[in-house]
Amino acid sequence: MATWERPSQQQPSGSRGSHRGGTRVLPTGRELAEANRFAYAALCSISLSQLFPEPEHSSFCTEFMMGLVKWLELSEAVLPTMTAFASGLGGEGADVFVQILLKDPILKNDPLVITQDLLTFSLKDGHYDARARVLVCHMTTLLQVSLEELDILEKTFLESLKETKEEESEMAEASWKKKENRRKWKRYLLIGLATVGGGTVIGVTGGLAAPLVAAGAAAIIGSAGAAALGSVAGIAVMTSLFGAAGAGLTGYKMKKRVGAIEEFTFLPLTEGRQLHITIAITGWLASGRYRTFSAPWAALARSHEQYCLVWEAKYLMELGNALETILSGLANKVAQEALKYTVFSGIVAALTWPASLLAVANVIDNPWGVCLHRSAEVGKHLAHILLSRQQGQRPVTLIGFSLGARVIYFCLQEMAQEKDCQGIIEDVVLLGAPVEGEAKHWETFRKVVSGRIINGYCRGDWLLSFVYRTSLVQLRVAGLQPVQLEDRRVENVDLSSVVSGHLDYAKKMDVILKSVGIRTKPGWDEKGLLLAPGSRPQEEPHQAAAPSSSLGETTHQDEQARGLTPEDTPKVPTCTNPSQTKVPTGLDQPEEASPPAAINPIENPRICSHSVDPNPLGCPDCASQTQGPCPGLD
Amino acid sequence: MDEDVLTTLKILIIGESGVGKSSLLLRFTDDTFDPELAATIGVDFKVKTISVDGNKAKLAIWDTAGQERFRTLTPSYYRGAQGVILVYDVTRRDTFLKLDNWLNELETYCTRNDIVNMLVGNKIDKENREVDRNEGLKFARKHSMLFIEASAKTCDGVQCAFEELVEKIIQTPGLWESENQNKGVKLSHREEGYGGGACGGYCSVL
Repeated sequence: MATWERPSQQQPSGSRGSHRGGTRVLPTGRELAEANRFAYAALCSISLSQLFPEPEHSSFCTEFMMGLVKWLELSEAVLPTMTAFASGLGGEGADVFVQILLKDPILKNDPLVITQDLLTFSLKDGHYDARARVLVCHMTTLLQVSLEELDILEKTFLESLKETKEEESEMAEASWKKKENRRKWKRYLLIGLATVGGGTVIGVTGGLAAPLVAAGAAAIIGSAGAAALGSVAGIAVMTSLFGAAGAGLTGYKMKKRVGAIEEFTFLPLTEGRQLHITIAITGWLASGRYRTFSAPWAALARSHEQYCLVWEAKYLMELGNALETILSGLANKVAQEALKYTVFSGIVAALTWPASLLAVANVIDNPWGVCLHRSAEVGKHLAHILLSRQQGQRPVTLIGFSLGARVIYFCLQEMAQEKDCQGIIEDVVLLGAPVEGEAKHWETFRKVVSGRIINGYCRGDWLLSFVYRTSLVQLRVAGLQPVQLEDRRVENVDLSSVVSGHLDYAKKMDVILKSVGIRTKPGWDEKGLLLAPGSRPQEEPHQAAAPSSSLGETTHQDEQARGLTPEDTPKVPTCTNPSQTKVPTGLDQPEEASPPAAINPIENPRICSHSVDPNPLGCPDCASQTQGPCPGLD
Repeated sequence: MDEDVLTTLKILIIGESGVGKSSLLLRFTDDTFDPELAATIGVDFKVKTISVDGNKAKLAIWDTAGQERFRTLTPSYYRGAQGVILVYDVTRRDTFLKLDNWLNELETYCTRNDIVNMLVGNKIDKENREVDRNEGLKFARKHSMLFIEASAKTCDGVQCAFEELVEKIIQTPGLWESENQNKGVKLSHREEGYGGGACGGYCSVL
């Protein structure tokens, strides 16, 4: 039990050579010496106390440690000690425990054993808690194993569960039925909720389960899973993990909803399946290449199972058109000059906006207002879908830009009000978010989000400051400045050198994702950079990406992409030191905004002299400059 | 209640297997005695607040496992400890002879040089004594340690041992004040402790 074979073809390229060829069976954590099992449990305990000090998570931590002590067959006598560790005592010894573990004869050859063991333990109840995954990632890093290996382990685990045998189908069916009943019940509950709230009766489709069904739900349940987790557990695990009850529902549909949402579906971005999923949320729909919801996310490779949210296309299209109109309306040089002044002085006041811009303001203000409202509603709806575990008991990562980030913001806010909101969301990435940036509004997210809360902002995003010009209350917009919440989760990433305007969030998503530390498809970046200005004719992403995927080039491009921000980005790479997220805000003190991050956009202006292009934000000649190191960084 | 606690002190109990480390702790914290107490796994942890000279101190006591197989774990507890209780069994000479090894380990892993050490000769209720009180006293004096003989079973000297230790720690202001106030100073202390490896203990002998 709890051992599985790792097929040789799935061995990572950079892994230790000793086990190459053929299959290998990883020993379990139980095979470690008692002292090392103790060290392993103690390290988990200390890590939990460091990762989740909030009182909301204490019951999870305690339960997790109690389970783990049992799992490792340690004596119950160690529980008080583990509790002490989990409450934050004895943390000074963490690195010694790591040293001890790394010296273990089994772990020396393969530190992956711990990762594997912890993963199995976390999954054994069919509930992959987001916090458990964050812990697994943390432990994996502590033991100097690359996260790629964890990825492969998760995949292997999934594979072993997928190898279906019919023999246990009867049990599976019973299990499904039970689940389905419960789900139905939940659905009625939600509909009931909607009826109370009133609202337009429009079909809202949602349901992440649907693509799973299409892929053949029968294949999900397997007795091979039993090999990994014991005969009874295997099925339950899969049903629970993947919400396989969706097999009975050909596309989850909800008839009514609170508020007025006209469109709400999940579109699969990838064909694979994984133990954790990513949902990407687009902020607007432009014409041309970015007219679809999935277009900006072509480079995203956070997980093998990714979805993008299709929501309110009509309004997002209108907004996109408005954004383009307002930009083309600024073709003349005078407006650009005025704009430059406005942007770089960093003053968000209606008086300083150029008249030409204010003349077209009504074009944007209306669709923007509508979308602001809708995105909040959609966010709340998304929250309830996630809370009802339509995605199964798996961690979810949310990534969104512009209004998509706003959807996430409201989703988190809504979730925070519910009781069982913990352990669902792993990471969230908000890019150019048109939401309140005051730290106190983000405080509650600490209990919802287990992993990282990334706020990608751009100081020179004049469009965002423009649409917020009248609302004095929201002078602190998250998409324009760091969120100063002191927590290990929060990472503020200054994208000023990558993003030159609000529209770039869609166009330069690949570079942005890299800057904030989200995995992207290899070989994709190069092409993304080249096409970033959006003036090229449409191409199928995959075709273009194929020839450029040679490894050497990729790494080079990687370095370049990272080289864009190293010095001026107050990025905190999984660091617990909150002080690093502190960055003086250029908006509040325009005169004193002296750190390089604030200066950079001035020295490296996006509004260029190649003003032949009607789009002041996307001049191709200037965009190409971003590929090299920024001059302003020297 | 936490407000009038002067400081939190980290105390470590070390010594050979079966000398009665856990029993001493159990007697001190819970005032119970179990002759059949199972061997400690890894480390045990207890908290107790005691009052010495009108100062309240919260003790976080880490009771290490003496068994050889858990020996690898011990180094992780030394860090940040302000007091160490080194226990031997007066009825087993070998546990007394191994004290040198423990002192070596203490020197190797301890992060500060002004740590207060106390030597405790346990099980004085037993009749087959192999280590004389004077021997223990001599050893303690040689290594600048506090010394007391005790019995967890009869409760003899147990309370006294802990109180004595805490008193000494509190009398050494740099030891516990740095913990609360001068983090920077503490860090440099640690460096010195590592570099010099000098970890004697400069306190007087009882």
